[in-house]
Amino acid sequence: METKLSDLKSGNIATVTKVAGSGAVKRRIADMGITPGARIEMIRNAPLGDPIEFKVRGYLLTLRRSEAEDVMVSTEVQR
Amino acid sequence: MTVRVALIGNPNVGKSVIFNNLVPGARQHVGNWPGKTVEKKTGKYRYKGEEYELVDLPGCYSLTARAVDELVSRTYILEEKPDVVVDIVDASNVERNLYLTLLLMELETNIVVALNQMDVAKSKGYTIRTEALASRLGVPVVETIATQKVGMEKLKAAIENAAKSPKPASLTYPSDIEDLIEKLVTILSADASLVTHHPARWLAIKLIERDKEVLEMIQETTLDSKIEEVFA
Amino acid sequence: MKRVKAVLGDDPEIAFAERRYKMIGGILEECLTKTETGMTFSDKLDKVLLNKYLGIPIFLILVWALFQFSIEASGVFMVIIETALVTVGAFFGTLLEGNEMATSLVQDGIFGGFAFILPFLAPIFLMFLGIAWLEDSGYFARAAFVMDKLLRKLGVHGKTFIPMMLGFGCNIPAIMACRSIEGEKDRMISILSNPYISCGARLPVYVLFAAAFFPGFEGSVIFSMYMLGLAVAIFTAWLLRKTLFKGEPEPFIMELPIYRVPTLRESVLHMWERGVVFLKKAGTWLFLGAIILWFMSAFGPAGYLGIDPDVSVSYTGILGGLIQPIFAPLGFDWRLGAALIFAFLAKEIAVESLGIIFAVEGDIAIGGALAGVFSPATAAAFMIFILLYIPCVAAVGTIKSETNSWKWTLFSVVYSIIIAYVIAAIAFALLSAIGLGVIGGA
Ligand SMILES: Nc1nc2c(ncn2[C@@H]2O[C@H](COP(=O)(O)OP(=O)(O)OP(=O)(O)O)[C@@H](O)[C@H]2O)c(=O)[nH]1
Ligand SMILES: [Mg+2]
Repeated sequence: METKLSDLKSGNIATVTKVAGSGAVKRRIADMGITPGARIEMIRNAPLGDPIEFKVRGYLLTLRRSEAEDVMVSTEVQR
Repeated sequence: MTVRVALIGNPNVGKSVIFNNLVPGARQHVGNWPGKTVEKKTGKYRYKGEEYELVDLPGCYSLTARAVDELVSRTYILEEKPDVVVDIVDASNVERNLYLTLLLMELETNIVVALNQMDVAKSKGYTIRTEALASRLGVPVVETIATQKVGMEKLKAAIENAAKSPKPASLTYPSDIEDLIEKLVTILSADASLVTHHPARWLAIKLIERDKEVLEMIQETTLDSKIEEVFA
Repeated sequence: MKRVKAVLGDDPEIAFAERRYKMIGGILEECLTKTETGMTFSDKLDKVLLNKYLGIPIFLILVWALFQFSIEASGVFMVIIETALVTVGAFFGTLLEGNEMATSLVQDGIFGGFAFILPFLAPIFLMFLGIAWLEDSGYFARAAFVMDKLLRKLGVHGKTFIPMMLGFGCNIPAIMACRSIEGEKDRMISILSNPYISCGARLPVYVLFAAAFFPGFEGSVIFSMYMLGLAVAIFTAWLLRKTLFKGEPEPFIMELPIYRVPTLRESVLHMWERGVVFLKKAGTWLFLGAIILWFMSAFGPAGYLGIDPDVSVSYTGILGGLIQPIFAPLGFDWRLGAALIFAFLAKEIAVESLGIIFAVEGDIAIGGALAGVFSPATAAAFMIFILLYIPCVAAVGTIKSETNSWKWTLFSVVYSIIIAYVIAAIAFALLSAIGLGVIGGA
């Protein structure tokens, strides 16, 4: 099932399917390892609910909800 | 002659600690957060009678700069063209760190990879076959633990070697991409001044990625229309 | 002929990044084996420090602990340094007996001013130690993560919090650290709001005044000065965002480093690197400054003023008198006026110059002397003014070099004086209203 990265709950693991958003930000997100095919785990929300902490490519990355909304993931592929 | 060496890598991987280890008396500030170093800092050391000028650069995730400090690194690597680029890789975070390594290799300069923080990698349960990595990348790879000064002599030796070696080739991408690159390289090579300043292959890759600065460079030439054909 | 679109699709940039990561995956399949190690130390710590309910309280406690540590733990060191200096001072006193002017220079200038400031270096050093600890532990990036939402509501990027934390040590490296902030607007906002973060050099002023005017409440008074500085910094950032640098904060894309246990050696080294700047300042500026300040206070247009004179007719007195009228509504006299002028060089000079003025006048117990001349409301207004007006020459220089603009530097200076005056006046009025406007009250 395809959802937004921002919709994942703590502990959910998904596979990135599409990175959208505006040019420079999109590029930075991809450079940081969020590219189609990447396995990504939602770790937690910040205490105030935003930003969100993810684990991707073996490290911890934090993104705001608004950035995570531009990334589509599929929750089915779980190896 | 002084060998010019640049330390580059992702933020918070240990570049400044390595700089302090190599340059006698250096006191670069070190801190456990990305973005500690914001300015390039130069220092000198001698090895086997030869003088080396080392530059500690601000960390960056790619060569597409987003902050002032990252721009310093990009400009240094692209414009100053150091003799040897030491790419400090956080071994406990290799997957993302190697991304910059690939970008650096596209520039076809002499690279030494320092696999730093081997202690942290080990505690994370990572075992890295360094030799295999070196042969896959085609560049020397040295294991280091900067905070314990482990691997510093080997690193100096590798730098010395790299300075004398021919420049390594960029990695070969899947053949469909290589076809595109090749096509663009042929077109670009027509403009001699363009390709003496930057490797043609790198320009081709950046064109495919629609890199703003490179696109602007091309617009100043007469190659514009030919290149657009490849993209049409 | 194969086209880019056919190979990489509509978004070649992202597709290329994807290819690179695929390639890395291929390489690592051969070169890397991961054995499961379970939860790491870092993961466990984050479960607590970034916990939904504990995250914010822990953040506040850590910041509070930083101040508590530097103020409380420094007491011992301050006493040790003071005792040592008193011994040395007494020795020199006997040595110079007979020569009135030389005795005054050494006793009032060197010991009353320069040596008077030295013990205050202890809390500054401990503040640096505490910051080094937070910095090396890996908590800085977490603080940005925890605070981002709150700050963003005010138009400030969460990453701005890192230079702010550094500013508690010294604003100069803090303003430089703004370079790692993405986006020109965000960077400018971070630079221009940083000077209101209370650096170590302001601490001696608080320690002196809090002890003299608010005994028993020193800790809370000092802590509220820090909070006021933070509030003004955030307010300034908000104001700039709403007016001169309109727009949305840059996206928040930040890596969280793993926690590391800072070794004692590292932390002490860190503290030393930063603190040594203050020591060097003490060795040159503050020392030379003491001699000049003594001269200006013991001499006037009429020449040497003699033993325990009326310093208000000295050069210092005249200088202080020049700006005193502006501050009269806050209860400042020429002494505080002069201290404000000198403190532009470095804020701790405020303490040094007051020490000298009172010593020349014949007062050794500065704290008591202060309490005999000013009301607690004036003291609070003075602390606030010191906190908020022009950071110091060196910081102004850094603002100039980092903004690369005289216009913004001038803006920063003028704005800081206005906001300092307004808030000091408000505090003075409020405290006077509750009866703290009389000398000797509290
Ligand atoms: N355990 C361990 N820690 C290390 C090692 N190398 C560096 N560190 C720590 O990693 C952190 C970052 O080190 P720096 O040298 O400041 O990193 P940098 O690459 O210069 O970072 P930026 O200037 O932000 O780009 C510090 O806390 C170091 O003590 C290592 O080999 N092992
Ligand atoms: Mg560094």
